[in-house]
Amino acid sequence: MSAAPTSPVPSVRRRVTLGEVRGPTVTLPYPMGEIREGLAGARTPIHDPRRCEGTGACARACPTEAIRLEGAGRGASFHLDYGRCIFCRACVDACPTGALTASPTFELAVRDLRDLQLHHGGTATAGALPSTDSVRSETSDRVRRMFGGSLALREVDAGSCNGCEVEVSALTWPAYDLERLGIHFVASPRHADGLVVTGPVTVNMRLALEKTYRATPEPKIVIAVGACGISGGPFRGSPEVLGGVASTLPVDVWIPGCPPRPEALLYGIWLALGRLEQRLHQGEGPSPGPALPPARKA
Amino acid sequence: MTEVPYEGDEASSERRPAARAAKDTILADEGKWARGWGLLEEPGGAPLGPWGGEVGAERWRPACLSLPPVLGHRLASYWAEEEEEALRLHALWWGKGGARGVHLRTLVSSGSPVIPSLLPEVPAALYFEREMSEMFGLTFPGGRDPRPLLLHYRHPSPPLRGQGSPPGTERAPYDFPIVEGEGVYEIPVGPVHAGIIEPGHFRFQVTGEEIHDLEVRLGYTHKGTERLWQGRAPGRGLPLAESVSGDHAVAGAVSYSMAVRSAAGASPMDARNAAAVGLLLELERMAFLLGDIAGIILDVGYAAGAAQANVLRDAAYGELEALTGSRLGRGAVGLEGLTRPLATGLAEGVGEVLREIAKGVAQLLRHVEEISSVMDRLRGTGVLSREVAEALGLVGPAARASGMDQDVRRDRPYGPYQGVEVRVAQGSAGDVEARLRVKVHEVQEAGRLAGLFLERGALEAKVPGAGFEPTSVTKGNGLGVVEAPRGEMLFAVTLRDGVVHRVHVREPSFMNWPAIEYAVRGNIVPDFPLCNKSLNLSYSGFDR
Repeated sequence: MSAAPTSPVPSVRRRVTLGEVRGPTVTLPYPMGEIREGLAGARTPIHDPRRCEGTGACARACPTEAIRLEGAGRGASFHLDYGRCIFCRACVDACPTGALTASPTFELAVRDLRDLQLHHGGTATAGALPSTDSVRSETSDRVRRMFGGSLALREVDAGSCNGCEVEVSALTWPAYDLERLGIHFVASPRHADGLVVTGPVTVNMRLALEKTYRATPEPKIVIAVGACGISGGPFRGSPEVLGGVASTLPVDVWIPGCPPRPEALLYGIWLALGRLEQRLHQGEGPSPGPALPPARKA
Repeated sequence: MTEVPYEGDEASSERRPAARAAKDTILADEGKWARGWGLLEEPGGAPLGPWGGEVGAERWRPACLSLPPVLGHRLASYWAEEEEEALRLHALWWGKGGARGVHLRTLVSSGSPVIPSLLPEVPAALYFEREMSEMFGLTFPGGRDPRPLLLHYRHPSPPLRGQGSPPGTERAPYDFPIVEGEGVYEIPVGPVHAGIIEPGHFRFQVTGEEIHDLEVRLGYTHKGTERLWQGRAPGRGLPLAESVSGDHAVAGAVSYSMAVRSAAGASPMDARNAAAVGLLLELERMAFLLGDIAGIILDVGYAAGAAQANVLRDAAYGELEALTGSRLGRGAVGLEGLTRPLATGLAEGVGEVLREIAKGVAQLLRHVEEISSVMDRLRGTGVLSREVAEALGLVGPAARASGMDQDVRRDRPYGPYQGVEVRVAQGSAGDVEARLRVKVHEVQEAGRLAGLFLERGALEAKVPGAGFEPTSVTKGNGLGVVEAPRGEMLFAVTLRDGVVHRVHVREPSFMNWPAIEYAVRGNIVPDFPLCNKSLNLSYSGFDR
């Protein structure tokens, strides 16, 4: 291998050196250690009920009907479904009172679909958005015990736009290096302990998804990835899609995002293995404080 | 609209003089060829659209067939839309280089719509005709392939007509061609593939290791996207535009917004917004093409080289995230330009990283060039001759690697690329190596252009105010054409009463998918992944 010069890129940047064998380490510590310094992407909408005046501008701006207000003005209740959110920040731009802000927090994966729903005001059940039922596989606890140290996953694209595939395959890049965690993507469902499913599940992919699931030996887990895999995302309502993985399979873990960044996928996979705590709880939404440094230094 | 007096008819011996007459008509009488569907965006406001003209249905085929032999026009897109009691067909043809395009239109009655096929003279029309058959119930006498293209189940009525219809439960029959003979066997692959990639079904006809024929069946990711657009306010269609091919979301958003702006008669973006959009487009191109480069190197089994390409790719996504908040640039581009300022606090140093990436990819190419076991796999593999490439109307890096000299950024400069010199990559061998070299060149060129856009004030661009109100447009239509990383991405948008009446999107892969069936012929099965990766075709972009 030919030698490459050392990169002059400052250390807070992602290193882009052509790596030598003894070159700089590009693999990021997460989820074993801290998230990398200066992660930039602030995409997750955070709602501050104290500043909300119930204008409804956010709900009108939302392209996927993830936000709903009941009532109007200061007494309005605010409901946000992170399973429908495509993290476009149109609501943040539309909010005239600054009640909605974008946060870099990404640890949004949950085991129960209802935990993706945020309710400010109103009651959680009365205000719950219509959504697909959360189905938890009975075997998931057993799976977590069995596969804690080694997990083989098979990826199935059930009609995604290929955005989620970019980030799922990024897990195999040096920066994320999934295999250091004992997790690997395998070529056949027969070799897999679980499926990672993206896309809104098109009518044309349903049969293939079912067959792939049946070909995966028991016990097995299913991880639904992205707004499409949870709710159909931008494609919800099309007669050509079924509107999420739960239409077809029992789901153990849901990873919101459009697409979820690689760290969010790592978090979700570790959550499936029971190696990390779930941060989101029903009705509460993510904590408003940034989980990460908001900006990297140049 | 005036009907253009085409002299042409189907008799081939008559075609040349007839075509010459057509050429004269097209070139001399611009008044007759009304500026129809605009194509943003010219400084000074005049949309640079193709010449447009209406022809009678009975003249459709001769009119269309007269174009390729005269000016070397290639079919860029061919689509239908519903009007009152009729279907309007559009055929868009691009001239060679920067030559002005021609946009032919005709009306057919919607009762039992029939229009003669453009086959076999225009091979590129095949997929378009198959799509219109199933989506609009059009029949194409003289057509070559009656099989469905995207729909796997029978629909009670064509999905893009009237109220549309959800899929039924009965599967539509689909026959694959079979090669027979001693020792010939079939390899079915997919729709669920071994890698982390999109779904599609491949049937190989093979003897020993040699591939005789490949038939690709797609449609698995069909989401009814074009239908979903209808009745939406144009701005709410942006997430769909980003999700046609989510791996080049910026190009999708820019192309769609161009079409909407043109339909609404909006004025062009200000120079800094144009520069900012250009910066995002070029960064996306770098990240995307580095993935192709990584894939090619990985598929010859050289994991270390692929890892290095992926390090560079992740750096490019990191910069896109630093600028837009999203690694894939989603939600960054709106109808008017930027939706929010590029995060300038984080953007400091972006130019340096771009130069590092461009340098890194050049080093990587020099490095793999020294490894004969890599180069041996690439050279002479998956050859697409220029003849095949032109007949199929290929676009993007695949076309350029086969000697087709075309790039929308240079030929029909839009927004950011006006007054910018784009050094278009050129290959000739049409094999995997040529495609790899073209892509390496394009990463470097994208880095250079991105640097140029930085100098032009991309980071200082302000979020534009609402310069136009698409929801007040009673009737308008427009085209958007962008050089996406895969090639020319085209949107045709019709607005009516403030909402989308019809969106037709032609993702580059719609033109390029047939190429893989040609590229693999005579190759060995283990080289299929190389052919596949070097073409990097979008399933979702094709299926929508």
